[in-house]
Formats: sequence, structure tokens, C-alpha cells
Amino acid sequence: MRSDVWLVIVGMAAATYLTRAPMFLALARRPLPPRVRLWLRLVPLAVLPALAMPLVLVRDGHLALGWTNPALWGAAVVFVLAARRVNLLASVAAAVAVVALLRAVA
Amino acid sequence: MTSPLAAGARPPCAGTLREGVVASLALVPSVFVYGTVFGGLAVQAGLTVAQVLGMSLLVFAGASQFVAVPMLVGGAPAVAIVVTTYVVNMRHYLMAATLAPSFRGFRRVWLALIAHLINDESFAVVVARSRPPDPWIYLGSALAICGAFVVGVAVGVALGGLVSEPERYGLDFAFPAVFLALVAVQLRHRADWLVAIGAAVVAVALALMLPGNWHIVVTGLVVSVVAARLLPVDEADRQEEPTA
Repeated sequence: MRSDVWLVIVGMAAATYLTRAPMFLALARRPLPPRVRLWLRLVPLAVLPALAMPLVLVRDGHLALGWTNPALWGAAVVFVLAARRVNLLASVAAAVAVVALLRAVA
Repeated sequence: MTSPLAAGARPPCAGTLREGVVASLALVPSVFVYGTVFGGLAVQAGLTVAQVLGMSLLVFAGASQFVAVPMLVGGAPAVAIVVTTYVVNMRHYLMAATLAPSFRGFRRVWLALIAHLINDESFAVVVARSRPPDPWIYLGSALAICGAFVVGVAVGVALGGLVSEPERYGLDFAFPAVFLALVAVQLRHRADWLVAIGAAVVAVALALMLPGNWHIVVTGLVVSVVAARLLPVDEADRQEEPTA
């Protein structure tokens, strides 16, 4: 593992505190403007797929859209299960099992 | 320990701190498991026990911690990881702004500490129970959720050390799987789908072009800003489920 892990952790801690403390310490009486609230609500909806889909679809700098990409099947499984409100651990475990199985037979 | 309240401030209503803990018990198992999954995977990925526990105590924001681990392993620049963490956690501004007025009368030192405990689950609990949010219910909930997460991580760290060859069991796929599960439970309206699918397409395209995992931050900011400009503002106050 790389040598700057603690530096990254401290940086993450500072960055996260910066999202929690300023508004809280200011004890702001007025709520944020509606469009800012809308934006902040949408950020996770944009960030999470941005994190996940390249991990699923990009292999070694190339697009892996074929049926033989195990991650594609795993993604479908976890998405459908979680959307049906199956709990997080079970959804993720099922997807991981599917990926492991497909890798084993490939 | 001195009282968290400044002189003359309203004391807690009887039992509200405990009410916050009790109201959070339904969420404790899932937060515990979430912590366990994180602890196990992070150790598997090569972080030390101290690093995993240190990150969980100092950052205490599950989704961003899940995000950081594959980036650390994949050799992303430190700055990219920190900026990505910031963007993933920007939703805290929303919760902090909603909670803040309830905490008038608390000493600033305590405010600085309590701010660190802001989390999606406790926010959901307190907003569902009281308007304006009761600070003591919130605090009770935050302690329960924080405890469940940290204990879960510790258990996960212990378990995670037991599995060798994580790739063989598909465990590396657990990271994108967690992100997809977190998205899936948030998709309620057509606008949500548009934002999520748009982000997926843009991110994959950028990932093929940009080095160092910058596609995450760029996509997250650009897609959310564009969507917030285009969508009607009444989308702003819809009830949302806890994300992480």
C-alpha cells in the first residue's frame, strides 16, 4: 500500500468537517435558497453513478460492454435487488457471488 | 464534564436524549452491517487496522469512505481523493443548515464536536420525529448511529483479515455494488433517473479520457449543477431516504 494513506485520511477528515461545521456553527436562521437545496440533494445522485459505472464498464482503459463482462451482470443484480428494497448486505452479497461465479467459469 | 449549554439556555426535555437513541434502534443493525462491510473490505484492500479505524473515527461518513478505498488502491492522486470526499459529503451542508437553528444556546465547543456527528440516518430520524428538529433527539440518535458504525467497522476489520485472495471471491466488486445499491434506493422520480443515467454516461466517457479518477468529481459537479438549473425548484424539498 502507498505511503501517503494517513495524509489522505487527514485530508478527507478536514474536507468532511468542512461540509459539516460551517453551517452548523453559524446557527443560520434562514434556510438555504431552494435551488441550492435542490443542487445539494442532486449531488449524491450524480456522484454515485459516476463512481460505480466506470468501475463496472471500463477495463484497462477500454469500454467493456460485452455480455462476457462479469461486472455488468453483478451491477444488474445489485441494482434490481436494492431497488426492490432488499437490504444492502444481501444485495451486495448476491452481486459479489454472481461476479465470483462468472469469473470462475470464464 | 461541563454542561453543553450556555448560561440561560433551555435544558433538555425529560427523556429526549433517550428518545433519540430508541428511535434510532431500527437503523442500528443496518448501520452496523454497513460498518462491518466497510471494515472488512478496507482491510482486504490493504489498509492497516489503524488506518481503517482512524478513517472511520476522523471522517465518519460511510459513502465517502467506501469511495476512498478503491481510489487509494488504484493509485489516485491524494488531492483527487480529498476533493472527491468533499463532493460526496457536500450533502452535509443541507443537513447542517436545517439542524443549526435548533442548537442555539449550546456552547461553541460542543457545537464543534456535535457537527462532526452529522449523519444521514440521524437526520432522517430527527426530521421525522420533530419540527423544528429537537437537538436532544438528534444527539441521542447521532450517538447511537456513530456507535453502531464504529463497532461495526471494528468487527469488520477482525473478520476481513480472515479472507485471502479477495478478487477470487469477487470482493473487489463490492465497492461498485455498494454505490449502485445506494443509487437504486434514491431513484423515485423521473428527474432522479435522468440525473443518475446522465451521470453514468458522462462519467464513463470521462473515465476513458481523464487520468487520476477526476471523472468522479467533474461528473458529480457538472451533472448536478446542470440538473439543478434545469429542474423545477419544487424538487428541492422532497423527502429523501438516508444515503450513507
